[in-house]
Parts: sequence; C-alpha cells; structure tokens
Amino acid sequence: MNKIKVYTPDNALQNGYFFIIREIFAELKNNKWLILQLFKRDLLSVYKQSMLGVLWAFIFPLVSVGTFIILNRSGIFTIGETGIPYSVFAITGMAFWQLFATGITSASGSLVKAGSMIVKINFSKKSLVIASLGQSVISFLVQIILLVILFVYFGLTPEWKIIFLPLFAVPIILFAMGFGFIFSILNGIVRDIGNIIAILMTFFMFLTPVLYPKPETGLLAKISEFNPMYYMVSYPRDIILTGQSDIFNGFYISALLSVFIFFICIFIFHLTESRVSERI
Amino acid sequence: MEKDVLIRVESTSKKYCRSLKRSMIYGISDICRNAVGMSSKSHKLRKNEFWALDNISFELKKGEVLGIIGPNGSGKSTLLKLLNGIFWPDKGQISIIGRVGALIEVGAGFHPLLTGKENIFLNGAILGMTKDEIRNKFDDIVNFSGIGEFLDTPVKHYSSGMFVRLGFSIAAHCEPDVLLVDEILSVGDINFQAKSKKKIMELLDKGTAIVLVSHNLNLINNLCKKTVLINKSSPCILGKTSDIIEKYREIVWGNNKNFENYGTGDITIGSIDVLNNEFRKSYDFRKDEQIILKFNYHAENEIEDPVFTLGIFNDDGIQVTGIRTDNDKIMTGTFYGRGSFDLIIEKNFLLPGIYSISANVYEKRGIAFYNRVINISEFKISGSKGVFGYIDIPHKWNFK
Repeated sequence: MNKIKVYTPDNALQNGYFFIIREIFAELKNNKWLILQLFKRDLLSVYKQSMLGVLWAFIFPLVSVGTFIILNRSGIFTIGETGIPYSVFAITGMAFWQLFATGITSASGSLVKAGSMIVKINFSKKSLVIASLGQSVISFLVQIILLVILFVYFGLTPEWKIIFLPLFAVPIILFAMGFGFIFSILNGIVRDIGNIIAILMTFFMFLTPVLYPKPETGLLAKISEFNPMYYMVSYPRDIILTGQSDIFNGFYISALLSVFIFFICIFIFHLTESRVSERI
Repeated sequence: MEKDVLIRVESTSKKYCRSLKRSMIYGISDICRNAVGMSSKSHKLRKNEFWALDNISFELKKGEVLGIIGPNGSGKSTLLKLLNGIFWPDKGQISIIGRVGALIEVGAGFHPLLTGKENIFLNGAILGMTKDEIRNKFDDIVNFSGIGEFLDTPVKHYSSGMFVRLGFSIAAHCEPDVLLVDEILSVGDINFQAKSKKKIMELLDKGTAIVLVSHNLNLINNLCKKTVLINKSSPCILGKTSDIIEKYREIVWGNNKNFENYGTGDITIGSIDVLNNEFRKSYDFRKDEQIILKFNYHAENEIEDPVFTLGIFNDDGIQVTGIRTDNDKIMTGTFYGRGSFDLIIEKNFLLPGIYSISANVYEKRGIAFYNRVINISEFKISGSKGVFGYIDIPHKWNFK
C-alpha cells in the first residue's frame, strides 16, 4: 500500500530533524534520473540554438585574462610574480573561479526560470537547483581542455597531482550549490537577489586572488586570509602548477566549511521550498 | 484513513496577498521563521491578505469522480494546487494516498527547443515517472498523441493542438491513483477529445479517483455522483450532484441578474408576470407545464401595430427561443395608455434550470425599437433529468 502524504500548514516542521534529513536523502536518491534529464535539458537548450555552442566556455575566461594581460603590459596594473606563464596561471584560476561564480548564478536563477512549471507541477525543486550547476561543470571541463592546450603550447609538464583535479572541484561545487539553494528561494520571492548576486560575483572576483597572486601585505592580503574562495581557488592551482602549496590547512578548513554550508542550506531549502511556489 | 479513501480534505483554507510588495515581505518572513523551525502562524490574516479558499472539506474514494464547481475566482484552481501538493494549506489538513497526477495545463514542463522525443523523457521525469516506466510506455504515448512523424521535431514548431496532445498523452500515461482534471476534456480536435475521454474512463475503471473541475455542468452531472460547490461568500457544500448544480445555478444567476431598460419610451413594458395555468404568479415550473407570460405595457403616445418580441435565455446566457408577433403574422392593433396582454406557452420543452426573459417592442416594420427590457423576469424549471442541448423535444425510442 502506498504511503499517506499529509499536507498541513508549515508541513516541513511537523517532523524531527532526523526525519527531515532522511527525507532529503530519499528525495535526492529518487530523483537522480530527473536531475539527469533536467541537466540534459539545460545543456541542449543552451547549445541547440547557438553557433559557437560550447566554445562560449572559452570566451569569458579568455576575455578576462586578456584584459588583465593588457592592463599589466601597459603598466596600469601590476601583477605580482607568478613563477609560471601568466596566462596559464590566470586560466587555471579562472576555471575554478568560474565554476563557483557561474554555478551560484545559475543556481540562484534556477527556480525563477522554471517558475511557470513550479506553480503547475509538483516535482523535486532540489533537482532543479542541482541540475542547474551541470552547465558550470561542463564549462569547467572545457576550460580544463583549454588549460591542457596552454600546457602543450608553453611546453610545461603538469604535476602528477593533476589527477586530483576533479576532487578539488568538489568543495567549490558544494559551496556554490549551498548558497544557490538559499538564493534561489530568495530570488523566487524578491527578484533583486539575482541582480545583487551578479554584481557581487564580479566584485568578489577582483577581491579574490584569481587573476593575480595573493599580495604579501596590505588590506587585500588580510581579506584573502579569511576568504574561503582564496583557498579553494589557489590551493588546487598551486598543486597543479607547482606540485606544492603552503595553504593546505586553509583549503582543508574551507572544504569542511563548504560541506557544512551545503548541508545547512539544503536543510533550509527543504523547510522553505514550498513558499516559493506560493509567491514566485 | 478509512478503507478506500484516497483523499481527505479537512477544513482546509488557503490565503493570498493582494499586494505584491507585501507578499514579498511576508514570503521572506515566512521563510525566515520556517528556516529556524518556527511556525509561520499561517492561520492568521495579515494586512492585505484574504482567504482565497476557506474551510473546504471532502473525501474521495477509489474509483470515484468528484466534481468541483464554483463561480470564477472561488478558488477551484487553488484547491487543485493544494491537492497536488504544490503549496501547503494555511489551515486544516489534506491527506492523500498514492501518486497524484494532474491534467492541468498539460505540456507545462516542455522545453520549446527540445524535440518531441526528448520532451517525452523530460516531461515524464518531471511528472515522476521512472526511466523504465517511460521506456515501456514510450510507444503508447507516441501513438496516443498521434504526433507520428513530428517526433524528432522541436516542439516549438508544433501546432498548439499537437503540443497539448503530446502533453495530455504523457500526463495520462502516468497511471496516477488520483487524477486532478481541470477542464482538460476539451483538448485537441473532436477525435482526440473522444480518445482522451475514453482514456479517462479507462483510468476510472482501473480504480483511479478523479477530481474534476469544470464549468460544463452536463459533464459534471453525467460523470460525478458527488460534487463540491465552493463559493467565496458561503461555506462549501458537498452533496448529490443534481442538488449542488441547482445551488450553483442560483449563485451564478444572482451574480448576473442585471435588469436593463432601453428605448425611446413611446411605449414601455413595465413588467412581465410569469403565471401558471391557474393564472397565479409563479416561479417554479415543471417541464411540459403551461407558462403564461403577462405583459404589462404603458403607451405614452398612440402606437399602431407595434411588434412584440420575447426571448428566453438559459443560465449560460444563451437564447433558447425567440417569439415574435410579426413572425406569427399577428397584427397587434392600436395601443394607448396602460394595459396588458398574455403570451401562452402551452407546453414548455425546457430543461431544468433558471431562465430569464427579455422583451422588445418594435415599430410596425420590426426594425427600430421603442423599448427593450433585458432580464425583466425569471422562472425556474425543476427536475434533474440530464439532457444535452437546450431543449427536451418530445421523443420515443423504438428498438426492434
């Protein structure tokens, strides 16, 4: 016999925390196939009516890195010593940063984009948020290919630790997904959130040592020390390019933080998701 | 829950907010409260909020069809969304057993750039079908929708008919335990409508419970044993379909009853009395009973041979019949001052329902009018016989 579903006011609060966690995992498990379908939909719909298709994943990092190279050459902005060709340094950083930035942006917009569907069909909204990050993961992989091309071009040999690269991306994905859960709900109710995120992402990119190495002193150095994104971008980059890094502890703590944030946020999402269909 | 009960709705209410800005603030505050584990105190109305759906209760068993009727804006769609679990009630409780399917705005999850085939898998997944389920039913879905050669065409190039046919086909093949239907039976052309009705009947035979929202009272009357009437100003009532339909007609009638009076005023129809065969004023008639309409007029000036016409309208506002003195080749004579005359309808062939009377007085050629009165009187034909169309013509069957 089928299970009884009961809907009451504040439905999600009726059960204990343990039950809610089990519910969340069951939902994710049951909707793997839906997540895949939604991911396929996003991917196909972006590339089907586009000439450049997946090449767009190259364009944004190339333009941003190019801008920095021009600024650097003309002496307007001095990039510190990177030890390796700047473009390789910057593209690696951008690949990780973009994974975070595009991930959080598309996740935040995912519920609004599917608004007409949400108010008509009862389906797993977590799947929608999770699937929206697939796009960023594909772009990330494409940028890794770009990186490989640059390695060949400059005649560099990557460290063997490059095989951990997919693993390094996990904390960033969890971090972006966690915030994406919260922002997607808020954005569903107040559209300003989407704009704020878009602006903040640009701001944070320049605040985080992505396109430049972390300065030794000054305000930016201080901020970077408390910026989890600094560790999550710089540690993998150091490892891939030089094989060693002195910020393992920072990375480790940031990774734990991202796991923590992911769970807190998906929990809050679970408690509040039906509020979006009321007001989207 | 009791045996075979699939849906139980207990004094359920849902509120909405009139102001968008406030709705945003309330939304954020509800989210914050829920996020820290506090109740949103949804049973209380805040400023600018109102009950869109108030205190609804009913039960639905396996294999039953429940009709839901109500005037526009009474909360029928909100009720379906609550049953579908799209949002939670603000008061009361809804319990549901089994998979809920919805034939509400089918094709809502389609992506225009994806092909029909891709959309079948996507939409199926969104509607809660598993991969194997869709694979197994894929051919049935395609055959039923009749999209055939367009399977690999992006759905944005589909005609609107093909679009809804495919959407209906996917939704109908979900094999739900409870099916929510919102006016869907009019999807596609006449052949597809026949097919979709047959499909719904098949689901019903398999034990699916159906909640049917419709303005088509004939359909409700024929399909549903029990019906819920929801209406803003009065509590919801659940009862035998024919009784509920009668109540609904009275409500809708009350909303639309506007007397209108136009014309030059040379001659006016002051009132039309509806009389029974004993010449007493009456409202309630049986089918076939004699109805006498007594026209009370007042002619300011002397009028020669005016043409009198009468229209009888049913509760959908459709004219059931029109009677004219000029069609009947009657010279009405000279009118001056106050007076009255009768129109005798010896046998009415009208279906049960409420009827409204409108009348005209034209000059003798029947073009320009002196007076036009709309909704001047009304009467009711009682009974519960379900007949399609506007009148019940006398008939006999002969099977040999």
